[in-house]
Amino acid sequence: MRSRRAAATLLCALACVGCGHSARGPASAVAQADATHEYPSAPPPPQTAAHAAPTATQAIRSFVTAYINWDAQTVSDDMLALAARSIGQARAAMTLAAAETAGDYELRRGGIANSGAVEAVAPLSGSDDRYVVVTRESTSASNTTAYQGLRPAWHVALATVHQLPGGRWALSGWQPES
Amino acid sequence: MVAGVVRRRAGGGVVVLGAIVAVLAAGFGAGVLALLTSVFGEGDECGSPAGSATGIVLAGPGPGPGQLVGATEYGGPGDPSSGVVGSSGANLLEQPDSYAELGGDTFETATAMGGLPYLTPLRITWGIRSAIAYKRDIGLGGGPIDGLPRVLDLWWELAGRLGIPYEDGLWAGPVRIERPPATGAGNLLEQTAQTAPALVAPSTADQDPAACAPAALEGVPVASGDRAQLLRNGLAAAPADAPLAVREIIAAGNQIVGKPYVYGGGHGLPLSDIAPAYDCSSSVEHLLYGAGLVPVSYDAPSGTLESFGQAGPGRWVTLYASADHVFMYVAGLRWDTHNAAGPGDGSTGIGWHPLIRSDAGFVARHPVGL
Repeated sequence: MRSRRAAATLLCALACVGCGHSARGPASAVAQADATHEYPSAPPPPQTAAHAAPTATQAIRSFVTAYINWDAQTVSDDMLALAARSIGQARAAMTLAAAETAGDYELRRGGIANSGAVEAVAPLSGSDDRYVVVTRESTSASNTTAYQGLRPAWHVALATVHQLPGGRWALSGWQPES
Repeated sequence: MVAGVVRRRAGGGVVVLGAIVAVLAAGFGAGVLALLTSVFGEGDECGSPAGSATGIVLAGPGPGPGQLVGATEYGGPGDPSSGVVGSSGANLLEQPDSYAELGGDTFETATAMGGLPYLTPLRITWGIRSAIAYKRDIGLGGGPIDGLPRVLDLWWELAGRLGIPYEDGLWAGPVRIERPPATGAGNLLEQTAQTAPALVAPSTADQDPAACAPAALEGVPVASGDRAQLLRNGLAAAPADAPLAVREIIAAGNQIVGKPYVYGGGHGLPLSDIAPAYDCSSSVEHLLYGAGLVPVSYDAPSGTLESFGQAGPGRWVTLYASADHVFMYVAGLRWDTHNAAGPGDGSTGIGWHPLIRSDAGFVARHPVGL
């Protein structure tokens, strides 16, 4: 009888140790999510970009030239192509622009087109990866007089670049300011 | 016509016509201007004057439907004292598409349109002509013109381009101004901070240009299929299968069916108004505006519509224009101002006509996508 009682006590002690060990050890994914509000997962693979450029400024000039030269029929495809050749926020912005312009009846109905040239690309003071981009653009429309007579105008945007594995460059951020 | 026009500008040196009278007039004018602008405000989204008391005529960075304001002209051989250099530093002879924003009795109060930045474009319309002009100057205010607040001075060459007669820099009269839409890829794609979609739902008028149009789709009869049908009461039933723009055009047409035909009728008014009478071009433009296909200030003779949209017949809408007349087909139904197809063509007035007429001598055009 004493030996049975001793065995039960030992089992109970082991069980308690087990419980205690479990509580103090590495948390489960669910427990970690409860604690941090983030479900742990493997890090995403690095993004790749099509047609990455050998230099940062070349990447910017190429991207921006395509961004400002389109017409209502091509703009959605053009933005999709830009999404493929950029990463991060820039890719998200281009993907969104592609989706929105694909269903933009007003753009097509107005026959709206945009054209222009990159006038300057300069590194932003105090930043290694951000550049100020100046463009001069014209907007026209074949089926509305709204843009008739407007002169080409200057526009400013901020571009962020990222050096990809292999050393080539792609845009990771794009923010038109005007 | 306003005598004793205040003509003092910065940059180009100080220029005063009738200095003492002008200063007194400016002070008086500023008071009148403040009173007027408090009455007129910005106008509503559709361009009609409203009672909002904003204190300025044209506010906000975006395009607006435009409104009538008082304007004067300056410069030229009859007004040498105005000089040729604007307060922005621009040589106005080299940049003739220029205007000056006026207001108050000091240069600091030359903000009758909200203190627009230099080079802000405005579309300025006088009669049937319009032009884009850029702010390159400022000036003092003055009394109202034809009951309208005096807010801008037109460089004389710009005024000439609009067909305004040169009166030695002393012309004054009403013009319509509107902000053109923002240009550039970032703005068109709504990726700049100014154009990014708001998190709070904007007003209906902001969402859809056609929402400003007079044609309310509610109550427009609908017919099955893809062809409009003429109803006994002279209205048209819009085809259920047609795009929204086609139904909006039909709704706008139904608004003015039976209006009397008057040559020149309907012109000179915002297309958002229902005019007491129309002619061929103004009635067609009313329908196009109903679908947001032309701006509210669009006002063109029939010949101008020979270059509207794209060449050839459209899938849903076709305009037939010449220098003398314009009519259109909308989903198979003819919109015309007179009985042109003989007996059975319907009424002789403005409205929908069931029969096809000859299009000899007309140029066929259609809105893009329609």
